[in-house]
Amino acid sequence: MNSAPSRRNFLAAGLTLPAVASATRSSGSGQPQSPTPARPSSSPALQYKILGKTGLKVTSVGFGCMITSDGSVIERAADMGITYFDTARGYQGGNNERMVGAALKRKRKDVAISTKTEANDKAGALAQLDKSLSELGTDWVDVWLLHGKGNVAAVTDDLVDAIQTAKKAGKARFVGFSTHAGHAAMLAFGAANPNIDVMQITYNFAMTPEVTAGIEQAAQAGKGIIAMKITSGGGGGGRRGAAPGPPRPKGSQLAAIKWVVRNANVHTTVPSMTDNDQLDENIKAMAEPFAGEDQKLLAVTREIIRPNYCNMCGECDGQCRQGLPVADVLRFAMYADGYGQFALGREHFKTLPAEHASVRCGDCPGCTVECPHGVRVVDRMIRAQELFA
Amino acid sequence: MIPRLVCGLGLLGVLAAAQDRVAAPSCGMVPGWTQAGDARYYTSDNLFEYMDGNSEGYFSYNFQTMRGVTCKKGDKTFVIDISDMSDADDSYGWFSATRDMRQPAYDVGAGGQIVPRRLIFTKGKYYVEIAAEPEGDHTADLRLWAAALAKSVEGSTSPPSALSWFPTEKQQSLKLAPESVLGLRLLKRGYVAQYDYGKAFVVFEDTPDSAAAVMQKLREHFGDATPAKLGDEAFGTTDKYLGRLCFIRQGRYIAGYSVTVDGMDPAALSAALAAKIR
Repeated sequence: MNSAPSRRNFLAAGLTLPAVASATRSSGSGQPQSPTPARPSSSPALQYKILGKTGLKVTSVGFGCMITSDGSVIERAADMGITYFDTARGYQGGNNERMVGAALKRKRKDVAISTKTEANDKAGALAQLDKSLSELGTDWVDVWLLHGKGNVAAVTDDLVDAIQTAKKAGKARFVGFSTHAGHAAMLAFGAANPNIDVMQITYNFAMTPEVTAGIEQAAQAGKGIIAMKITSGGGGGGRRGAAPGPPRPKGSQLAAIKWVVRNANVHTTVPSMTDNDQLDENIKAMAEPFAGEDQKLLAVTREIIRPNYCNMCGECDGQCRQGLPVADVLRFAMYADGYGQFALGREHFKTLPAEHASVRCGDCPGCTVECPHGVRVVDRMIRAQELFA
Repeated sequence: MIPRLVCGLGLLGVLAAAQDRVAAPSCGMVPGWTQAGDARYYTSDNLFEYMDGNSEGYFSYNFQTMRGVTCKKGDKTFVIDISDMSDADDSYGWFSATRDMRQPAYDVGAGGQIVPRRLIFTKGKYYVEIAAEPEGDHTADLRLWAAALAKSVEGSTSPPSALSWFPTEKQQSLKLAPESVLGLRLLKRGYVAQYDYGKAFVVFEDTPDSAAAVMQKLREHFGDATPAKLGDEAFGTTDKYLGRLCFIRQGRYIAGYSVTVDGMDPAALSAALAAKIR
């Protein structure tokens, strides 16, 4: 396990203040068995699924609260019938949970709230959970996740003990982990682990079929599946600081959400929603089927990202005069640029033999590799070497 | 001419490098601390690797780069990071979004806060943060670090002038919303203060004309706008979630209140707020 200092490990821990309110669940606090709020007649039709063996009835489009600008958007979403709200101890320096709790106070028994801990030991995790409950203004969370676990080893016995302790204490109804990397291994691990109720994973139209298969396996094992980053980095909505690159076609974000929602094994999703406009747009994914037009939009989007996106067909094997494993190096760059997994890309790049790791494609007089699918191989190879070498 | 140009560019490069050095923390800034591991450097391309989903918050406030180092003294570990947020408004904005208004402020830079295991402050375009391990009260050490870092980080110590426009009585929070003020995409960027009776806001537009265009779109959005004789133009309306609202345009600014309790007059509150705008 990587023991390097990480902001993730420290961020929320550093927020813990001395006066942590007691968040012991009172008896008969009335946790909901199946949150299904009354829906205003003016809202679009909603689609509900059951979150694995948890039995929680959740809207297939949930609400990622991380960058929401105003609590009124969350309150409105709950009134519209959205039942799943995702936050984390560390979001907005700890202020996000407070906003979410205040916004959902009126509807607490009608909605499921998920939060996460970044702590790496039992004591720290349970202290964070108490703080989360205090900030959210609730005696329990419906889903409590170990945050951003990128490999099986990161889900330690100590942390598993923490989530089970929280369940027994009634502070968390269901537990699991979120992951941005190593999806296949993490899904298989979670599927086979009786201590894991739910998994929150990165999943979108640009991902490999192996992830879809892993989700199916986990869902068949009764695990609740929550998808995040479902627009493949394209959900900026014009935000400052959103992912750079050429603009994607109008409607592609909604199409990307529909693509995920149509998968019966994905039970809910947590697209980040900033404002009411985004809420109104995203909620349509439950009312409208994934149609031919959506397929076209995603095909166009794939074309836009194609110069950077390798589908690992293997056609370039053996073409490089320097002997570089081109597809592998492109995949490493994709980890960083496509999925935001810089560490994963670097980790893989470091496994290259020294004679390959030392090659700089910019020094080569002419590239012998041609991608039949239009990937700009030289640019991407140079990008990988700039990032990782 | 060319040598002069080259010389000038060279000087600019040296100045830029000096600026970068200033914004990099070092464990030697406070006696007794030693560096653990390599220094960190992140850009918007790879901040995710360090921050996970929290990086989205940094990006919302125009994050450019982060330089960091981990320092140890005995069993204490401080993770120290300095982020370049483009300008002082964005840096203060991110500070305002991450501080806990229920805790006292700490007088450092343009604004700061120390709690037992955390220091944050803003100075100029830089956002400075320390997370402390292990569990316990690290306030004394954090104060030493605050003083040392405040000396080495360049930039203004004056908070944005807009902060002084908002009433301080019963103020629960005051932060820069980097987008979608009140959850409305029409209101692109501005300060929002939370009170127990509602919210005050000031939205910045580039010109009076663009602010007037936004006002018109707001009227269309809410539908039941009632004109008011305040500022350059004003109207009142109601919303299920935002309560009773008043919007006043004052030049390129749109100010107002969203009031969710009885007994408070959003028009009077908004007029007083607009009168403070300079």
